[in-house]
Amino acid sequence: MSETSYAVLGIFDTPDALMQAIPKVRASKLGTVEAYTPYPIHGIDEALGLRRSPLGGMVLVMGVLGALTAFGFQYWISAIDYPIVTGGKAANSWEAFIPIMFEVMVLFATFTAGLGMLLLLNKLPFFGHPVLSSKAITGITRDRYVLALEAESEAFDSAAAAQALQGAGAVEIEVLPAPDRSPFLTSDFILRTAGGIFTACLVAGLVMFLTIKWFPLLAPMKYMQDQPRLNAQKGSTFFKDGHGMQMPVAGTVARGYLPTATGTQEAAATLVNPLPRTKEVFAVGRKAFANRCEVCHGALGNGMGSLTAAYGGKPANLQAQQFRDYPDGKIYWAIVNGKNAMPSQAADLTEAQRWSVVHYVRALQRAQNAKDEDLKVVAP
Amino acid sequence: MKQNKQISTLLWGAVVLGALGVFGSYVAAGPERFWANWVLWFVLLFTLGLGSLFIVALEHLVNAKWSVPIRRIPERVSTLLLPAIPVGLIALGAIPVLYPGARPEAAHHPILAGKAFWLSLPFFSVRTLIALGLCILGLWVLVGGSLKQDTTKDPAFNFRARKFAPAFMAIFALVITLVAFDWISGLTPEWYSDIFGVYVFAGAFLSGLAATVLAVLHLQDQDRLEGVRGDHLYNLGAFLFAFTVFWSYIGFAQYMLMWYANFPDEVIYYKVRLVGAWRVITIALAALHFVLPFFALVTREAKKDPKRLRRVAYLMLGAHVLDVYWLIFPVLGTKPHFSWPELSFALFFLGGILLWIRGAMQKGEDMPVGDPFLREGLEFRL
Repeated sequence: MSETSYAVLGIFDTPDALMQAIPKVRASKLGTVEAYTPYPIHGIDEALGLRRSPLGGMVLVMGVLGALTAFGFQYWISAIDYPIVTGGKAANSWEAFIPIMFEVMVLFATFTAGLGMLLLLNKLPFFGHPVLSSKAITGITRDRYVLALEAESEAFDSAAAAQALQGAGAVEIEVLPAPDRSPFLTSDFILRTAGGIFTACLVAGLVMFLTIKWFPLLAPMKYMQDQPRLNAQKGSTFFKDGHGMQMPVAGTVARGYLPTATGTQEAAATLVNPLPRTKEVFAVGRKAFANRCEVCHGALGNGMGSLTAAYGGKPANLQAQQFRDYPDGKIYWAIVNGKNAMPSQAADLTEAQRWSVVHYVRALQRAQNAKDEDLKVVAP
Repeated sequence: MKQNKQISTLLWGAVVLGALGVFGSYVAAGPERFWANWVLWFVLLFTLGLGSLFIVALEHLVNAKWSVPIRRIPERVSTLLLPAIPVGLIALGAIPVLYPGARPEAAHHPILAGKAFWLSLPFFSVRTLIALGLCILGLWVLVGGSLKQDTTKDPAFNFRARKFAPAFMAIFALVITLVAFDWISGLTPEWYSDIFGVYVFAGAFLSGLAATVLAVLHLQDQDRLEGVRGDHLYNLGAFLFAFTVFWSYIGFAQYMLMWYANFPDEVIYYKVRLVGAWRVITIALAALHFVLPFFALVTREAKKDPKRLRRVAYLMLGAHVLDVYWLIFPVLGTKPHFSWPELSFALFFLGGILLWIRGAMQKGEDMPVGDPFLREGLEFRL
């Protein structure tokens, strides 16, 4: 079995001799021509016909992609998924996105450059380039200039390659055997690596633990804790009463919750429900009714809620003739102001929700007292 | 030769025609507009000269060898600081007209009254004179010494320049900050930004670089500067490329902090530049000063391609004019002024600058032949 060799090295004494040899050796077309020199030689890239590295283009594409990723991510977070007004700025403020776009662009670009160079273009991990174990390597790192004809296939003819190099003026020839390509990811290697990482984590964790235990005053980051701020449920010397939490100023009403009172119930009888009878309005009313009313008035509004049995209270039966005759305004008034044992719902239901509940109560009443003509309405 | 003469005549014609327009604009368009134009061109002349001098000092500071063959070019461009002296002295006339801090009303302004001493006409003028004087000192040591070295071939100049360069960097920082704060941000004295001097520096350096690139390419067209190759051009192109990013970084950092904080006295500066026609100019500035040159120079080949470099350098100089226009002209009102007074000023000053540079390009040898590192610089390869 003939041993296939990895490459044939031709050793030259001067860079000029190397440069002159390159075109001749390339013309022989016996394999890939590669040069190994102690320092960069101007013009050798062109002489070897090396193509431009694709790394620059990869970095550009990934950098742009990084910037776009960061923009899309921030746009989705701050403008679509969870828009919060911060500092009076619009949810979609490109100015605020730029620093992070810049950082992520740099991150993508540097990782592409580093990993692309090592893994894609240099084909690492790869322990020990064959040339490193040649006899010529001591010369390459000092004062020798080496031209290598590297095998491209099994059919590599090392004798012809040696002849070509010699013909081009090489003073010495060395044939490199094929490198040992046995897999290095053996179980032994993996075990030792994993063990090393585990030990390092253990030691670092122990050091961290003991540092914090023995020097508790050296907390790593305390700046955020020591702010002069008010905390919920905590005391504070800022206010006279010593509480961190304060009651809202008297008369404070949240947006959308006005009005809070509408005179007497009789006066409210003339109020007209401002909302249209649409599917959406009924859905809002149904949800609000279920949350705020159903527990006492019952799911059907007949006063048979789950609390009625437990406490013996007697909430209004909204199906009674008295309440079916009520104008919308009077029901609305009861929701806003409360009636008898019923507390005011003004703080919990917005103006729109209150009127939606009125519509929903009307629907419940109609449902329990349906007429024949209700069945005739067919509109697919 | 004959063509040279024709160009000279043309430029002189432009200067005379421009001068007529300049005088006319004082009478017809009013002193405010006249002085705004004058300050614009003073700042342009000054930044162009000082930016070039900075390139020269930078080369001495870091002991650069590659740039020795082209060092004479920024040295010649930096002599524009000499005509900047009379222009600057005349510009002092703008202070009582344009600069609110030096006007009598300032005494009743709660903020300006506190800064009255600094902003007043006498101290303003003194600072300008000091700035111009320091520039002349730098010019004398770095450019004068280099020209003298052509005949004496005395390497002692290199040591002197290398020792002087760090001191000049401090002087440069002081001078460009003084000019930026006094002449540009002094137009709106309630507004201030710590980084403003750096912003103006970035523009000045870019304009000096662009002028250097253009002059190098122009001399190469005339078969002068033999030995200057793509490798040298590549370094100049890389500088241009890098500093477009630096300029936009500083400009955007300044804008973003003010936009975030949203203090009325700070944000008003950008508010006037982000409504109406000024908004268009702001966007154009970002495109012409950053986006276009950045992508034009992004590849390796582009940085040493003379054709592309020439276009980008012209673009960069134009963008620098637009930048300074954008900084100064909003003081005249919410609408950008651009018509015959501006064109006359451009004719007058551009004609004058080109005439001066044409003269300066004949000064001394094309390369610093007395510099012992010239050979090493010529052999420079990437």
